Amino acid sequence: MPLGWRTLPQLLFVALASIIHTSCSAAAAETGVAFENSAIVRTVALGGSVVHVTTTIAIKSLADEQDIYTVSFPRRERDASSFLEVRVKNQKDPLQIREKPFYGNAKFTEVDVVLPEKLAVNATLNLVVETIQTHMTDPWPEFASQTDQQALRYTTDLYVISRYPTLVQRTKIKALVPRIISYTTPTNVDAFTTGNVVAKSGAVVTYGPFSSIPVSTNKDFLKTYQQPVTVRYYHEQPVLEVTSYKRAVEISHWGSNINTEDQVILKNAGPKLKGHFSRVDYQGQLYKGSQVPHVLHSLSLDLPPGIDNVYYYDQIGNVSTSKLNVAPAVAKGEPVVKTSLLNMKLRYPLMGGWNYTFTVGWDADLAGVAGYNSATGEYNVEIPIMTTIPGAVVNQHELKIVLPEGATDVEVVTPYPSLTLWLDKHTAYLDTIGRPAIMFEYKDLTPAHAKNIYVRYKLSSGDHFRKPVAVSAVFFGLFFFTFVVRRIDLTIPKKQKAT
Amino acid sequence: MPTAYPLPSDVSPATVANTASFIRIVTLALISGAAIASRLFAVINFESIIHEFDPWFNYRATRVLATKGFYEFWNWFDPTAWYPLGRVVGGTVYPGLMATSGVIYNFLHAINLPVDIRNICVLLAPGFSALTAWATYMLTKEMKDSSAGLLAAAFIGIVPGYISRSVAGSYDNEAIAIFLLMFTFYLWIKAIKIGSALYGTLTAVFYFYMVAAWGGYAFITNMIPLHALVLILMGRFSNRLYVGYSSWYAIGTLASMQVPFVGFQPVKTSEHMGALGVFGLLQIVAFTQLVRSHISDQQFQKLLKTGVVTIGLTGALVFGLMTYKGWIAPWTGRFYSLWDTGYAKKYIPIIASVSEHQPTAWPSFFMDLQFLIFLFPAGVILCFRQLRDEHVFVIIYAVMASYFAGVMVRLMLTLTPVVCVAAAITISTLLDIYIDPSEPEIADNKTDSSAAPTDPPTPSNGASQATPKKAKKSTPTSSQNTITDAIHQLTSSGSTTKSRQKGIFGLDSRLVIVANAFFMLAFFVFHCTWVTSHAYSSPSVVLASQNPDGSQHIIDDFREAYYWLRQNTPQDAVVMSWWDYGYQIAGMADRPTLVDNNTWNNTHIATVGKAMSSNEDVAYPILRKHDVDYVLVIFGALIGYSGDDINKFLWMIRIAQGVWPDEIRESDFFTARGEYKVDNEATPTMKSSLMYKMSYYRFNDLFGGRPGMDRVRQQQLPQQGPTLDILDEAFTSENWIVRIYQVKKEDILGRDHKSANAFTGGKKRKRSKPVPRRRALAL
Repeated sequence: MPLGWRTLPQLLFVALASIIHTSCSAAAAETGVAFENSAIVRTVALGGSVVHVTTTIAIKSLADEQDIYTVSFPRRERDASSFLEVRVKNQKDPLQIREKPFYGNAKFTEVDVVLPEKLAVNATLNLVVETIQTHMTDPWPEFASQTDQQALRYTTDLYVISRYPTLVQRTKIKALVPRIISYTTPTNVDAFTTGNVVAKSGAVVTYGPFSSIPVSTNKDFLKTYQQPVTVRYYHEQPVLEVTSYKRAVEISHWGSNINTEDQVILKNAGPKLKGHFSRVDYQGQLYKGSQVPHVLHSLSLDLPPGIDNVYYYDQIGNVSTSKLNVAPAVAKGEPVVKTSLLNMKLRYPLMGGWNYTFTVGWDADLAGVAGYNSATGEYNVEIPIMTTIPGAVVNQHELKIVLPEGATDVEVVTPYPSLTLWLDKHTAYLDTIGRPAIMFEYKDLTPAHAKNIYVRYKLSSGDHFRKPVAVSAVFFGLFFFTFVVRRIDLTIPKKQKAT
Repeated sequence: MPTAYPLPSDVSPATVANTASFIRIVTLALISGAAIASRLFAVINFESIIHEFDPWFNYRATRVLATKGFYEFWNWFDPTAWYPLGRVVGGTVYPGLMATSGVIYNFLHAINLPVDIRNICVLLAPGFSALTAWATYMLTKEMKDSSAGLLAAAFIGIVPGYISRSVAGSYDNEAIAIFLLMFTFYLWIKAIKIGSALYGTLTAVFYFYMVAAWGGYAFITNMIPLHALVLILMGRFSNRLYVGYSSWYAIGTLASMQVPFVGFQPVKTSEHMGALGVFGLLQIVAFTQLVRSHISDQQFQKLLKTGVVTIGLTGALVFGLMTYKGWIAPWTGRFYSLWDTGYAKKYIPIIASVSEHQPTAWPSFFMDLQFLIFLFPAGVILCFRQLRDEHVFVIIYAVMASYFAGVMVRLMLTLTPVVCVAAAITISTLLDIYIDPSEPEIADNKTDSSAAPTDPPTPSNGASQATPKKAKKSTPTSSQNTITDAIHQLTSSGSTTKSRQKGIFGLDSRLVIVANAFFMLAFFVFHCTWVTSHAYSSPSVVLASQNPDGSQHIIDDFREAYYWLRQNTPQDAVVMSWWDYGYQIAGMADRPTLVDNNTWNNTHIATVGKAMSSNEDVAYPILRKHDVDYVLVIFGALIGYSGDDINKFLWMIRIAQGVWPDEIRESDFFTARGEYKVDNEATPTMKSSLMYKMSYYRFNDLFGGRPGMDRVRQQQLPQQGPTLDILDEAFTSENWIVRIYQVKKEDILGRDHKSANAFTGGKKRKRSKPVPRRRALAL
């Protein structure tokens, strides 16, 4: 067993942002009302399978020495959110957050935000809470024929709930194109507004403003006032879901190469195809330029610059209809200006409800992503978790990082924690003891999760030479064996001829 | 002795021998390299993909073997093939090919080389072609010498007749079978040459491998006994033959019976009776020899007469009785079709419908063998000159294989090796003579000069030519002298003229012949390369065409449709198609099929043929009874792909007619003038057949309502396109080559599909009284 395997429990996690599986120890201030929300604006940017929700909260401290602000989420949205980041407005760095434990049947959940500084009485701060929800839209109607439009619907709660009273809040729901079909007009809102409850202008549906909303994280409010609102809208892009995304990264020091291979199972999660696919109609649509937008014809992937040996195939062989523009490699540490673009045509147009699987892989120069610290003798490799498939959510993601044979003292630095993480063994070409492989599993990744993992490991020079030594030994053994065998005479001696 | 060109004199024989042996090894390595490389056109032009039809099944079976292990494969019952019957795969395949790949796969994985099973399958045939070249070298070396062997190896390495079945991706039984064929023959020759039981047993072992690998093993089963029989008849019975044959037959037959698909055939079917008969004959002859050495001549004559008569009669009676009783299977149709080329067409259309079962066209001999085909007879004649036991073998092989190659295209494959061997003997003999530097001596006195020509061509003389360097040292070889001498004696009957010294004088005459031979050889290489790259390297799953700018355009409709089936239909959706596509659907789409390329059940295939050639009302119950969910047809009319189902349709009709002569008649599909038409003149039966409807459904829509143009048959379609009631178009590939239809379930309101369709189409059901017309009449 390599030494590195034992060091695993000490793997270093730096959680930059998380709402999932973060154990919470700190007890937040439970004493009375510490804050007041002067204004809340929630902006929902509707999409296909991914919906961005940005909530800007102007907070005002009602007590002294406040450094924990608690944000609340309806349970349904918390379960659907795969990304949460809280920042002070106009600042880049996210704030530290801690999710509070909750019961399985809880109606809402809470997250403590550690403010950058302690707030005095009446001090104000603008917080931006950004979440990305997945699988929150569904096609309605569920079936659409080849010539129909794609309509989706999105349901959310009318009020932004908070454990603090809110002076005024509003919710804006934005579609990509100004083609909103319908929206709910809420009733029973007289307590908070007298004016127009809902207004539509272009691609935006605005609910509110609602004023003087009391503390809403209690059963009474949720039962009496909270209500769902639904927006139906035309979406002019295919709704894509990646049911499974498996990435395997293999590091080779001998070849100075890093190989990346993605196995993707793709699904068009838009309205299911009504009736059947007709090639005549499809070709007619192409000819007239009137193709419906929710059919996926081809896919463009941004691959790293300076890659080579790019391949694209599926379970039954190579897919010959792809175009690749490779951008020149950039030196390590330099910003990537231009990425390689792989434009791949699927074998067949992906209609609603259809599946497609493919494998894409490439080689890249290891020097472009790896560094060597001669002081500590450690290699440091930067590995992207995934390649963004535009507009798609990745339901299941598996990342396997195969380190060189004999790598020890393995450490990983992840931008956000994985569901599971374990160390595996991978045996490939001419290995003798197998290579350590780090396995990560993720769920519901969005384009915002396309970040890098850093892996550090040590590799002694003896391990570098393990492979050639093994191969030489085998060949030497073979030659020696033949050498011995050729010199053994096994023939039965001929009978002496009678003289 | 004068020489035509100077030879180095200060080289020791050991150096010459070592150099020759080194050059031989290097040459063989290069030949192997060339053999492998020339088979890689398919991979380079296209990709590492399994070709055609049968290989897809082999590949699928190999994957089962590699992933689930040998026992699982052995007991594999495939419920998805021949739905709903299923297929016992383990017992109905020749497992040699899969086992070979499985062993290679497991070996490579054991030494931590995780090579994909697909790549092993794709590259197996090129790999084995290198071994074939080596086996041919060994065999030819036994015939003549190692330089002929090297030539034969080079020929078999690149000859198109063999490449056609062994390009990369052509993962079929033939891929390894030709190597096994040649190697078994080599071992057999070796066995009877030295009378070794060890070599006889080795022959049996490789015979077993061959039996496990290819149905064509029957060729060996009959070639070896035939060879033995001819030798006996020539009076060349020897203990070497006895030992070699007996050890081969006893062990080989027992071993071959271990293959489940073969089972008891070696003792039951007529094809194997020859081997058994010769085995028996050998025992008798051996016994006779024994008896003869113990008793007097007169007694022996008597004994022989009675013995031969009794044994012959008994044997014939027993054979007849067993055939009559059915213990020995009678000759099969495939066997008859070997002798009567018209037989299959008449009685078993399913065999005749396969293109590779057609009689060979003359040009394909030249295409597949090029100049070897006219060197081949010369080589066979040269075999007569020495006529050792192994030469008899080549002669028999040449005669048999020539006949079979003429009968069936695919048997060209068995002819190719012997052509290579014989042609190599020719070329090698030619070069031996013309490269030999020794000049004929100017006749000084008559007795000396006449001594050489009268030297008869004995086997010992042939043995002395075993290596070229020996030939160099020997006096002018008698071979050419014999012929010229014979001619000379014929032309000058009287010995009036002074006998001149015959031979080759000077360097120029040598150069002319050698250069000519070299030119032919070089041109052969170009021919082989051209044929391989243009004719034999297409996977036929992927079609290539040229863009206007000359770049290659890939037409990938098959995989498009198969992949669609694989991804977007239920796992258990049954697909009906013509049997050609059965293996491909199973391999690429992973869906159950009704019929496939195994073609073991003629009735089932005829059922599919009937469904395709009947009208919708007749076809629907057939489809429903077989749980068919999707029907797949190949349609080439849009881009002019001629291998489509409309062109194969006549075979479907014929096969269906064979089972249902009352319902399906071939004549119904021909116009009054006997033409096969799809345009306006097409017969109503043709137009209402399911195949016609599925092929041309909505085809006119592509032409903006004008009648469509069928680019394969160059016919204008009817203005009114066909309509479909019982099927829905489910998928059509980009170039319309593959069209998939979904079979409708029974209407939930119990209507028939026609009226249900009319209802959804907004048409009113026709009333029994056509009201408007009557009103018009009243006016």
